[in-house]
Parts: sequence; C-alpha cells; structure tokens
Amino acid sequence: MKRRELIHNLALITGAALSPSVVQATINGVDGRDIIKHSVFNETQRATCTVLAELIIPRTDTPGAIEAGVPHFIELMVSDWYTEIERRIFLDGLTTLDTYCQQQFGKVFLTCSEADQIAALTHMENLAEGYKSTAPATPMSKEVDEHVPFFGKIKELTVVGYYTSEIGAKQELIYQPMPMEYRDIEFRDVGRQWSN
Amino acid sequence: MSTVETTQFDAIVVGSGISGGWAAKELTERGLKVLVLERGKPIRHGLDYKGEHMPPWELPYGGKPLRELYKEEYPIQSKVYAFNETTRHFFNNDKNNPYVYDPAKPFNWKRADVLGGRSLLWGRQVYRWSDLDFEANKQDGHGIDWPIRYKDIAPWYSHVEKFIGVSGEKLNLPHLPDGEFQKPMHMNVVERSVKQSIEQHYPGRVMTIGRTAVQTEPNNGRGACHYCGPCERGCSAGAYFSSLSSTLPAAEKTGNLTVRANSVVENLEFDPTSGKVSAVNVIDANTKERIRFSGNLVFLCASTVASTQILLNSTSEHFPDGLANRSGTLGRYLMDHTNEVGAFGVMPGFMDKYTVGNRPNGIYIPRFRNLKESSDSVDFVRGYGYQGGAMRMNWAQMHQQIKGFGARFKQALRAPGPWVVFLAGFGEHLPDKNSRMLLSKTERDRFGIPQVAFDSAFGANENRMRKEIQEQAAEMLKVAGARNILSFNANSSPGGAIHEMGTARMGDDPGQSVLNRWNQAHDVPNLFVTDGSCMTSSSCVNPSLTYMALTARAVDYAVTQLQAGAF
Repeated sequence: MKRRELIHNLALITGAALSPSVVQATINGVDGRDIIKHSVFNETQRATCTVLAELIIPRTDTPGAIEAGVPHFIELMVSDWYTEIERRIFLDGLTTLDTYCQQQFGKVFLTCSEADQIAALTHMENLAEGYKSTAPATPMSKEVDEHVPFFGKIKELTVVGYYTSEIGAKQELIYQPMPMEYRDIEFRDVGRQWSN
Repeated sequence: MSTVETTQFDAIVVGSGISGGWAAKELTERGLKVLVLERGKPIRHGLDYKGEHMPPWELPYGGKPLRELYKEEYPIQSKVYAFNETTRHFFNNDKNNPYVYDPAKPFNWKRADVLGGRSLLWGRQVYRWSDLDFEANKQDGHGIDWPIRYKDIAPWYSHVEKFIGVSGEKLNLPHLPDGEFQKPMHMNVVERSVKQSIEQHYPGRVMTIGRTAVQTEPNNGRGACHYCGPCERGCSAGAYFSSLSSTLPAAEKTGNLTVRANSVVENLEFDPTSGKVSAVNVIDANTKERIRFSGNLVFLCASTVASTQILLNSTSEHFPDGLANRSGTLGRYLMDHTNEVGAFGVMPGFMDKYTVGNRPNGIYIPRFRNLKESSDSVDFVRGYGYQGGAMRMNWAQMHQQIKGFGARFKQALRAPGPWVVFLAGFGEHLPDKNSRMLLSKTERDRFGIPQVAFDSAFGANENRMRKEIQEQAAEMLKVAGARNILSFNANSSPGGAIHEMGTARMGDDPGQSVLNRWNQAHDVPNLFVTDGSCMTSSSCVNPSLTYMALTARAVDYAVTQLQAGAF
C-alpha cells in the first residue's frame, strides 16, 4: 500500500481527521522509536491493529493511541520483538477477531460499525478471562509470560506504546524528569500520575 | 605476542571499582605513584552515561528487554534489577566471559565491564558493621574469628562516609552503629504508618529510611540528588558515590595516577629471593599484547572471585596452590547474602496521598534476631534485615488489573493505583569450607586464563532463616494493616544478592587464613587484598562500606610500612 492510500484508508477506518504528522508517525514511528526491521503485518492486520489501539486508548481530552504512534509500536513489537509463540498467538487473535465479526455481523472487523468493533473486542476480552499466568509472582521476577492471550497482548502493547510515547507521557500523564525532591503530596494537587 | 616491560610504579592497584578506587585515592594522596589496572573498557564520568535521563520514548522497544540477545549474550547479567538498555553497556558480556558451574548448583556472577566497575551499578545502601558481626564467628564457632573489632574500623568508616556522602538517620543502635550522615531522605506517609504499626507491635524492632551513598546535600564538589530515579544509568551530577564521580577524580588531582583500562591481569609474579610480588602480568584485552608492570606494593581490588582467580592463577615453586595460599583456604568460605525472600501486600486507604520524585532508596528494618540481649527461640544462628518500601502502583503495574478498554479505561489509568508495600530480606550466609570457587582444569577464557568454577550453595541455616524471613515479612505487613499479602521465597542461589564475599579471608592465624588484620597477605608482605575477598564472615548488612573502610585502613598501614622501609 502506498503512503497516500494508507492515509486515506486510516482516515476512513478511524473516522479521525489525521494530520500529516500523525500519519507520518503511524508509518515511521514517532519520537525515537525503532524502525521496523521485518514487518509481519499485511495491510489488513496493520489497519486492524490501528483501530484496536484507538479503541483501547481513544482520543478524549488528550490525544489517543493513533496520535501517539501506538500502531507503529504494535507492529514493531509484534514483528521484531515478539517470540514465535507470542507472534502466533497475536496473529491468530486477529484471525479469531475477524471470524467472530463475520459470524456475528457478516463483515470483517474493519468494516464493522464502531459499536460492533467494541463488541468484538469485548468478546476477545471475555475469551482471555480466567487465564492464569505461569510467570512467578515475585516482585524481583523479570520473566515474561509468552502465553498471555491475544487481548492481554494487544492491551499491553497499546498501553506500553502509549504511556512511553512523548504524547502519552507528557499530555496524558505528567513527565517530571527532574523533580529535585521527594516528599508527600496530595494527589489532587497533580491530578494525574507521573509517567516516569 | 610480545612482552613489554614498563616503568616501575610505587603501587599497582588491580581493579577500579569501589575498593580499587579507594586504594587509588588513598595511595596517591599519600604521594605514591600509582597504576590502576582495569579489565573493562575505559569510560568517562558523565560523558559516557548514555542512558542518563533518557526519556521513555527513546528507549528501544518501549524499554522492554531484548530477550533473544540477553539469553544469548547476557543470561547471567540480565538477571540484575539494574540491567536494561540504559545500562547494558556497563555490564559484562557473559558469552565472551564464561565460567563453570553445575546447573543444579548455580552461582550468579554479576560483573561490570567498565572503568569504575560495579561502583557505577551498585545499590548504594551503606551500613556499618558492629561487634555483633565481628564477634559472630567466635561466638558460634562457624568460621574463624575476625582479627579486628568495630573499634579498629570505626574511624575509617567515618573517613569514608565523609568523603562519599551518606544520607541516613541516626538510631543509636549498638548493632547498627550510626555514621557521618547527611540529612535523611523522606519516608512517605504509608511507610510512616507501617513504621508506627511495627514499632508499636514489636518492642525493639525499628524501621528507618535506608542509609544510602546518595547525597542529600552538596559535598566534595558533587551535587545533591535530583530524584530522577535510576542511579544505575550514571549520574553526571555525582550525587551517588562511584569511583568515576569521586575517588578516581580525587586520585587524578594528585598528579600521581595512571589508569590503564582493557588490562586483564593474568597473574602476579612472586620473587622467592625477596619474598615479595615482583610484577603484575597483564594481557591487553584488545591487542592481546602481554605487558609486565612492577611496583613496590600491589593492592588486589578486582572484586571477590576475580581477585582470588588471579591469586589461584599465580603459581610458583613456593606457592604451587596459588599465591599466598599456604593455608589452603584460598578460594574457600565463599559467601553471599541470602535474598529474594519476603512479602508484599496492598495497603488500603491513603488514596488521596501521592509522592513527588523518584527516591533512589527505600526503608530498612535492621536485624532484630539473635541480638545479645534478646532470647529468641529461632532455629538458626545470626540474623537478617529487610529492605523495602511503599509506593502507589503505576500504569505499567495496573493496566492488566483494570478491566475493559476505551475512555473509561484511559481515565482510570490516569490516577495511580493503590499503595503497595513490600519487605525483602537479606540474611547472613555462614562461612563454610565447602562453599568455594576454584580454577577449571579444562576450560580457559579468551585470554587463555583458566576459567573460574563455582561450587557453592546455601546451607541448612540459610534455608531455616529464609523460612522465617518470609513468615516475619508477611506477619509485619499484616500487623501494618496490609491486605492481599503475598509472601515469596524464591529458589535463591549464591551470587543473587551481588554481595559475594570471602575466598581470601582475614585472620590472625596464617595456617587458617590468607590475610592478616591489615589485609596484608600473611606470606607476601607487599601484597594486600582489600575487596570482598577478605571477608571472614558476611553479616547481614550490605558490605561495600566495609570494603572501602578496610581499603583506606590497609593503605594507611601499607604506606607507613613502606616509608619505614619494610618493603
């Protein structure tokens, strides 16, 4: 897909007015994010993940996942960072999502209404319900559970991508790299959590 | 491969970490021409802290571990809490630096690979040892008696603390002596509540803010902490103590310091005529060139295990089993602290309270078991302390626990989660002859040096103690009002606490120890070992401060002896 087509399709899919910088971010990544080495996404998967990310963290009074460059982050992580097991669970999840939409709504996910898309994502969340992680529960543990179901995976990638982005860190949360002090405060005095 | 003979130095220091930096500073300030040899890469204070203040959006892969690379090249180092893409350049590459152990009995050898060594990466907690520690071996018969007592080292603790800058609270506890403290860091509202509950419920138990080598006031040309958080990335303000920020610059200022990085010490040469070390043999890590340095004094500060590896690899007719090893104890009595055991829980309430700043420190509960005046009915000897803290959960910890997605989910993540409080124990590891390191007879490293082989495991006393550490942590959290308490007792193995000690212990009897009361080899008068190798027991408090104090004390003795013409 050419960049111009992608812009057009994304605008159609998300219904959002995409500024050129946002589109640039979706394609190339924002901030200092890594370049994708070997993408495993086809156009449908890329567009589906873009919609899913914005459904998980939508634009409210602050920018949402798309503006923060999360679609690029998801594609990067699934393509270059995931293990084979994780990648299979993730891509299978996208297939399951489309199969569900076909059965329920007679359309693929991307052409469903937003209400149906939300219902489909909720279905994926329900499928993940009750999953018990095998990773040891100690605060020191650095182990990652590869077998987390699709919903946990897309949610985590969206959350990590969003809150570690410059937009998520600075506009949704508060970025304070040089606090100069450590002390108690009232939460209402800041109203948001620190991003760092 | 050529061998180059180089100029004579007054003293050669092997290693540039916590101990080596102190040896360099003290020796050069006494007027000696000093060569510091560091096996790792040269890096510059500030300029080479490439992860410092790096914002989250610049971290590769959102700060997630590069699992394939870590598994392949950093399987040991990547277990360190401080290991990630902002610090990886400071760490040893395990693939290039293998060692031998039985997988059923692992030893996790965590090493830095840069000038300044692990002083860049350390946890910065600093506690004085007391006579409860120095007398422990004599009291219960495990190991041999320490040749020193608290009074011998106390002035040197002060000397070190004034220079490195230690923030902390005075408690007037005989078993955790007070030091030269800058103003303590702040304990948050939940920690103060936990402290009150514990101290009320358990007479004699105390909770305090950690004593840490992070400055709260400017000192010796170094700044106060700006609470950015991850010290291990390096601090160009020099707020936390490292060799790079503190001791090496002080040594440099004297004009007496030469530093040579990429210098792997192969062995020490012993001259049977003089009875002294006559040279240090180095392999250049880049060129593989062999270089021979000589000096009147040699300070081995390469770290526990690494220093003993050098001694074991320094064999001669006089010392067929390793230099200064007439006692046969070299490599034995390897200790660590037993950790990765404790509890955490959720503290209800306080939802209107929050904190500003990333405090590079936590709380500390000093040892309360088997103190002289108490009559504990516990099934182990010695004791343990807890480190811990309370904090509100952040978005990374909370997001999988908040159901759903969309605007409500986003709004819910805008506020921090509930307060979590945790206690993690550090227990004393008894000296045991069978806990040891040796040189592999078959495996060699990329320099042709025999690899280190480990044969070490925690014993029955540590395992009994761990059980109580777990129980007491959970009980104290319960007393403090925490809910959903989860206690843990991981399958911990030595090396995990990165407090490895022993293998060249101090003692008065040359038949049972490697070093005398001045950290001087019994058998080789111009050889001093002042890193963790020298430790005769392990206490339960963090050991680095004691290495620094022992180093400064040993230098004072060595220089006095040198000036008196002893060697």
